[in-house]
Amino acid sequence: MTAALGAAALSRGLAADFLTLPFANGERPLVKYPQKRPLIRLTTRPPQLETPFSVFNESLLTPNDAFYVRYHLTNSPPKPETLQPDQFRLTVKGKVATPLTLPVEELKTRFENTEVVAVNQCSGNSRGFFTPRVQGGQLGHGAMGCARWRGVRLADVLKAAGLDASAKQVVFNGLDTPFLPATPDFLKAIDVDQALDPELLLAFEQNGEPLPWLNGFPLRLVVPGHYGTYWIKHLHEITVTEAEFKGFFMNPGYRIPDDPCAAIEPGTTPKRTVPISRFNVRSFITSVEAGATLKAGVQTLVRGIAFDDGHGIREVVFSADGGRSWRAAELGKAVDKYAFREWTVAFTPERAGPLTLMAKATNRLGQSQPFEPLWNPSGYMRNCVEPVSVHVA
Amino acid sequence: MSPKLRLKLTRFAVRRLVAAFCVLTAPLAEIPVEPAKNPFAGDAWKLPEGQPAFRAAPGADLVTNNCLLCHSADYVATQPPLTRAQWQAGVEKMRGKFGAPIKTNDVPALVDYLTTNYGKN
Repeated sequence: MTAALGAAALSRGLAADFLTLPFANGERPLVKYPQKRPLIRLTTRPPQLETPFSVFNESLLTPNDAFYVRYHLTNSPPKPETLQPDQFRLTVKGKVATPLTLPVEELKTRFENTEVVAVNQCSGNSRGFFTPRVQGGQLGHGAMGCARWRGVRLADVLKAAGLDASAKQVVFNGLDTPFLPATPDFLKAIDVDQALDPELLLAFEQNGEPLPWLNGFPLRLVVPGHYGTYWIKHLHEITVTEAEFKGFFMNPGYRIPDDPCAAIEPGTTPKRTVPISRFNVRSFITSVEAGATLKAGVQTLVRGIAFDDGHGIREVVFSADGGRSWRAAELGKAVDKYAFREWTVAFTPERAGPLTLMAKATNRLGQSQPFEPLWNPSGYMRNCVEPVSVHVA
Repeated sequence: MSPKLRLKLTRFAVRRLVAAFCVLTAPLAEIPVEPAKNPFAGDAWKLPEGQPAFRAAPGADLVTNNCLLCHSADYVATQPPLTRAQWQAGVEKMRGKFGAPIKTNDVPALVDYLTTNYGKN
């Protein structure tokens, strides 16, 4: 991605720098937000910020100050005073034996603390690359990040409340609210069986620090291997229901074609849809940017990341000739089955001219990445091989 | 002065007053909170001010008054060039699914503005 500096500033000189994402209408300001370094701003109100792609080559854990931000509702992020320890409470209610009202401090001390290193990726990450283009947040590849999340198990809290036999779903609500009463609140539901999975956390720390304000302080749901839409921020209300929850952001929002590939013929409408859920397999080259110049005869260590929904990456293969020939990359240590997995491959370009580099990952189920992008009308789950065109001099 | 500007100025003045009040009433003897552990220390909670405007063209007032109630203009400006039918669907979604109080009579002018300035015909 090429960063094009722009002299134009927004109304009050907020952003002096601009960057152009590689698709039509991709110019974005780089703007500094609280606890964040300048990030690619998609929208202002509510704020949506994308991580500059070069960050993914800095470290396998995405620094908190570079972690992407996605909100839906106007009154986001919630006002700081509502998030402070004297005001903020998590309530657990609905079909439970004992409703709970817990300050974060009590959650921390009453329940066992645990950690997971996991990728959080927006359902619409890379939407800007869809062809034909679709409506929605026009993101590059930067609406993802990997962090060490520390918290308590959702299952432990639900057990402490005592689920009724009639319990069917668990509904999560954050403190962000719409401007108009008529606008649906951002609520997400998961089935009780999944909610009792000990891997789901109510997290209060990200990379050893309290969650950043814009990433859900003081508490967010962590659903490893699942798209960010479920990772409710500023989580303050858990409601156990006996009926299937039917809010806008479960239906018709955040749904994918009911098909193993979540894809349909471009430009058509799916016959049946299901809620989006688990990640598919992705990989990226992070050490070489599109348009970079490599030197003929000089060895370079090409590096990248791969991840899936937690089955684990089995193999990453690399091609330097646009996919005609492939060789295995070396996989780095698996920090966590839900984390970014580093891969490296030593590569020496032989002669001058244009080259297309590619990486392709496969997980332990044998699931991999298509060469041709798959399409769905909401622009979700892009996971094709992403070619990187470079020049050898 | 437009009511919008007056509201903005009032908000600004109130924020300034609140900030001054917080400084004046801050207890001096208290042990300072470790900055790294308090995400709201100092001015860490102040969001950048200002927001982008819609393109100045006939109909800009209408989109400003209707759309900016809930979201900034970059929600529109960052879309790929959309067809009239797509902008029409977008406006209908805002009215139908998100409860935007857009008058029926205003819909054609809104769609015209969006298609002309942010679309393809």
